[in-house]
Amino acid sequence: MTRPVLSHLGLILACLVVLLPILWVLRTSLVPEHASYAKEIFPSITLDNYQALFADKNFGRNYLNSLIVAVLSVVLTMPLAAMTGYAFARFRTGGRLARFATLASQMLPPVALALPVFMLYRVTGLTNSLTGIVLVYSAINLPFLTWILMGFFESIPEDLEGAAMTDGATRWGAFWRVVLPVAAPGIMAAAVLGFILSWNEFLFALILGGSKTATVPVALAALQTSNGVQISQVSAGVSLAILPLLIAVRFIQKYLVQGLSFGSVK
Amino acid sequence: MTAITLDSISRDYGSGLYGVRDVSLTIDEGEFMVLLGPSGCGKSTTLRMIAGLEEITAGRIRIGARDVTELPPRDRNVAVVFQSYALYPHMSVRENMRFGMKMRGTPVAEQDRRIAEAASILGLEPYLDRKPGALSGGQRQRVALGRAMVREPDVFLMDEPLSNLDAKLRGEMRQELVKLHRRLGKTMVFVTHDHVEAMTMGDRICIMRDGHIEQVGPPLEVYANPANTFVAQFLASPAMNLIPASLAGDATRLTLKAGPISGDLPPAQAALYTKAAQEPAILGLRAEDVLSEPTASTLPVAGKVIVREALGAENLIGIETAEGIALSARTGRDFLPAFGDQVTLHADMARMHLFRASDGKAWSRQG
Ligand SMILES: Nc1ncnc2c1ncn2[C@@H]1O[C@H](COP(=O)(O)OP(=O)(O)O)[C@@H](O)[C@H]1O
Ligand SMILES: [Mg+2]
Repeated sequence: MTRPVLSHLGLILACLVVLLPILWVLRTSLVPEHASYAKEIFPSITLDNYQALFADKNFGRNYLNSLIVAVLSVVLTMPLAAMTGYAFARFRTGGRLARFATLASQMLPPVALALPVFMLYRVTGLTNSLTGIVLVYSAINLPFLTWILMGFFESIPEDLEGAAMTDGATRWGAFWRVVLPVAAPGIMAAAVLGFILSWNEFLFALILGGSKTATVPVALAALQTSNGVQISQVSAGVSLAILPLLIAVRFIQKYLVQGLSFGSVK
Repeated sequence: MTAITLDSISRDYGSGLYGVRDVSLTIDEGEFMVLLGPSGCGKSTTLRMIAGLEEITAGRIRIGARDVTELPPRDRNVAVVFQSYALYPHMSVRENMRFGMKMRGTPVAEQDRRIAEAASILGLEPYLDRKPGALSGGQRQRVALGRAMVREPDVFLMDEPLSNLDAKLRGEMRQELVKLHRRLGKTMVFVTHDHVEAMTMGDRICIMRDGHIEQVGPPLEVYANPANTFVAQFLASPAMNLIPASLAGDATRLTLKAGPISGDLPPAQAALYTKAAQEPAILGLRAEDVLSEPTASTLPVAGKVIVREALGAENLIGIETAEGIALSARTGRDFLPAFGDQVTLHADMARMHLFRASDGKAWSRQG
């Protein structure tokens, strides 16, 4: 009897550790700037911070930028990642080297890539453009999503394609009509992970972009000026930035769990 | 219509590893051929090579008049029933069956007719709109079969389709499959590691080991004349008793000495095995040829009872002789000694098998 009580206490504590900072950010976004560091939880409630963010700081534009680059980079990457992952799972395509390179690219610190990419973009004129950011995000997502999808495809029995191919499908037909639908939960999960990665990305958006292309993380960072941090507006921005993540994870939760266990359990 | 010819086919995995090595076999039109062998002997590989799902690194395969060696699976007009069934999990039973016909452009009305017919033969009508996940193992097995049937392929290839069923269902499906084969008259290749399935279903069986063929023939013929000790042991349960033996004498009087069993052979056997007198041999006795009562052609063998399985219709008795040789006997239900009893059994030499000790080959097959 005491075991469940104890473990629930532990779990509640762990939840609080995770949730409290987020709840505090939400609270700070809803109180006037001067009360940000006050001891009372809600001295007064206001939406002024949100209002200021949109009216003075053009946050709507940043939000749209973020959505565009995150969605486009995923949409652009998923078909390529699915095909590459499938090839890795079923054939000797690229050998060990291609697999190692795919994994190794995940271990490189992003900073190491930022400068070379910046120089490339200077030459090709891709700096200060959403296209440029979408491209670099796609390049970052591709190996990551390929690796994840490879795992999902490996967990699908090969006989399924064998059945489809003896049934009259080409290899491509078997992939399209049988493997993809069966892997759908995994693909959804991977797409959400890719979206979240791009949504949160800061470094490349900062270095390669300009004021026109600033995404949410870049805009929020800009609120920390030499004149101090506008903490209530930052909080409002962070609260809004979390919103799509909540929706995505909530919407996709069952796929994520299904998808993540897909590879391990078989 | 459609015989299948395997002409020295091999599957080389590189670095000396072979799944199948230099296998030649002709499967007649309309024949039910069983590939039998222990796990890892290359049965599935052979089947998948016929289907086009496994690379053929050497040799040729013909189906009917066509050389299909280079053809992709979809152009071979074969249907495969996989051990895992490999049903499309995202499609209903009906869609599973329809898939192959749709791929081949069968008219929809004809698709519906064939699905209805297969469903009625296999008793699948109540389940047509269910997904495979909501079916029992036996039902899934039937769907896999139905999916193959509606295609009306030239050849059915089945990879241990009954191995995931419980014993009773397996027995029923064995008979169903034989019936289905008679009804369709199509060439079927059936892979199994179960000698009972092989004996009861095959027009012929092909026994494989380590990627090559050991013996091909009608089940009873192979059972009566195993080509070597491997086939002799694999095709029965309990396996054939094998005892090192030596022979002395000539065609008029040939004397056998095999551990605890010694004496003169009956005239027919003496004539058959005269040449074996020159070298070490192995005596083979099937369990049902070790009797509880003597006859004119038996030699006695005494031992202590160490196995005693009363199966109802018959008993399995295992004894250990003073020399430490184990011998199993299939006896009538009235002969049921207790554990540890000292008993005398009688080996029927008229039904003996004799193998050469050096390579395990049957003497009777060496002319
Ligand atoms: N990719 C592979 N690389 C090396 N050996 C393999 C590979 N796939 C299968 N084999 C070997 O081929 C042999 C035959 O396999 P299989 O045809 O599946 O046997 P069976 O169906 O008779 O149990 C096995 O010994 C197996 O280890
Ligand atoms: Mg197998």
